[in-house]
Amino acid sequence: MSGPHLTRPGVPGTLAPRWRLPLLLMLLACGLVIATGLGTSFLSPTRVSAALIGAGSDMDEIIIWTLRLPRVALAVLAGMALALSGALMQRALRNPLAVPSILGVSDGAALGVVTFLYFFSNENNVLTVSIHWMPVAGVLGAIGLAAAIALLTAGDPRGRDPLRLILYGVALSALAKAAVVLMMILGPVYRAGQALRWLTGAVNAAHWSDVFVVAAGLALAVPVLLLLRLPMRQITLDPASARATGLGVEPTRAALLVLSVLLTALAVSQVGAIGFVGLIAPHAARIFHGQFSGGYLLSSAVMGGLLVLGADTLGRMALPPHELPAGAVTALLGTPVFLLLLLRRHHVTG
Amino acid sequence: MSQADPFATLSAMTARYEGATALDDIDLSLPEGQIIAFCGPNGSGKSTALRVLRALHAPEAGAVEVAGRPIADWRPRDLAREIAMLSQSPSAPEDMSVRDLALLGRYAHRGRFSPVSQADRQAVERALQATNMSDLAERCLGQLSGGQVQRAWIAMVLAQDAPRIFLDEPTNHLDIAHALDILDLITGLNREDGRGFVIVLHDLNHAMRYADHVVLFDQGRIVRTGPTREVLTEERIRQVFDIDCRIVDLPGLDRPVVVPLSRGSDTMLACAAQ
Repeated sequence: MSGPHLTRPGVPGTLAPRWRLPLLLMLLACGLVIATGLGTSFLSPTRVSAALIGAGSDMDEIIIWTLRLPRVALAVLAGMALALSGALMQRALRNPLAVPSILGVSDGAALGVVTFLYFFSNENNVLTVSIHWMPVAGVLGAIGLAAAIALLTAGDPRGRDPLRLILYGVALSALAKAAVVLMMILGPVYRAGQALRWLTGAVNAAHWSDVFVVAAGLALAVPVLLLLRLPMRQITLDPASARATGLGVEPTRAALLVLSVLLTALAVSQVGAIGFVGLIAPHAARIFHGQFSGGYLLSSAVMGGLLVLGADTLGRMALPPHELPAGAVTALLGTPVFLLLLLRRHHVTG
Repeated sequence: MSQADPFATLSAMTARYEGATALDDIDLSLPEGQIIAFCGPNGSGKSTALRVLRALHAPEAGAVEVAGRPIADWRPRDLAREIAMLSQSPSAPEDMSVRDLALLGRYAHRGRFSPVSQADRQAVERALQATNMSDLAERCLGQLSGGQVQRAWIAMVLAQDAPRIFLDEPTNHLDIAHALDILDLITGLNREDGRGFVIVLHDLNHAMRYADHVVLFDQGRIVRTGPTREVLTEERIRQVFDIDCRIVDLPGLDRPVVVPLSRGSDTMLACAAQ
């Protein structure tokens, strides 16, 4: 054969496979330290590292541990959850362009939040209940809409193929989106600004409690992901071949979809509807790491963490004193990066 | 060849696709350990029969049994260890390597957390060698020709190490040399390992030459089932395919060849007989 002597897809350069994941993890560690140092008062990486291991000045430790680190950690963890969610959805639907928003998760969450603001704020722009209920409303909205889509697909007399799921998802998402806009325009939503900010997705005002919620969710997902390790690979085959090799296709698909929806709902409830991460991060991991090399999911997760961390850091540094919501930055930066990756991929695979 | 109990039976089985009847009230039993060809015109129900037997399509009515057990009672992994199957248009991501694909054939043998075992590795190597894909094992599917992709899929099916293998038009994308390679490989696996095959074949000459047993389908029914030479006769081929043909013995071949003729003409017969 005179074909190209490629062994693995789209792997750039000559970096040996076993160094790819360590390199990503190192990047993430550096990103964490640098992002923590950036802010109204700049702290050098040395000072940040010292404070992180408890050897810094009291002032540094307060700035880092109470002000900056929760936000940085939340950005990374939420990015990880969103990226994993995307990677799972893409496997479940056998479509590399599938994203959790297809199943209406983001729009469902938005509907939940706007509904919450609609019913629980008074004429003085004040919420009548605690703001801590807002994420709960978001999660309920996300799961509610995803469940409605799942029910419609399950009851479809023409069979439950992924395409019908996507179609129902698109339809119900559009409905939820319209409902959100209507409620914001027509209703007495005195907190439209806050709703809008949440809808774009932002990590500011992070507390350790938020960080722990996302971390706990991710920790719970790990054993399930380990259980799904082989089925997730098997389901990349067409359904007939997957079944003939012994996979229970429908239960596997359902498990992947449920986990994907829960992971997105988890992230979205804490940081708002940050888009694009579930699409870009797994895609970058496929190009950089290869989706059939061990550690692909971890690689996707780290990519997602880096992406949201980078977006949030840029968002708060770019135009002080304004803070751009991370979701706006992921979309602004994500789109060109995504196009670049697509072009590069074409170049590599010919 | 053993005339043991059938390994699979269909009784009074009817199957439909979106309301259209694909198989109409058929009875069939498949002998163990043979090369069985499903033949018939397009849309006669042969692929559907294969899918029903492999639990990929649920029948509308009737009973389906594999190894004496109703098909619905089989767990997917258990059935996969008994019957492997290559469907008509399988698909996998283009960035998957041939070796990774073959390894997916081991799914039913692997525990949830177990790493790739020695047995898995050996089965994959054997399958790659048998299909002549060892040199291309690290290539991605997207970089292969149609014939190479088909052989990669056959490697996956072989790696499954099932005693019975279903193949739905396995020679579809292959040129004549590779098609014969695959059919010779199947014969070898049958004679040496005693593996049973059920193959949907379009080419009657392939069926005539390689099959021990033929099931002839027409319009959702089974016209005849039995040893190859009893089923494939000039009269029956005329009836099912609506073509004239001659079945001719050639010196040096232990099985006859089917020579199709253009309808109502004897010119080709004259050529073939010489």
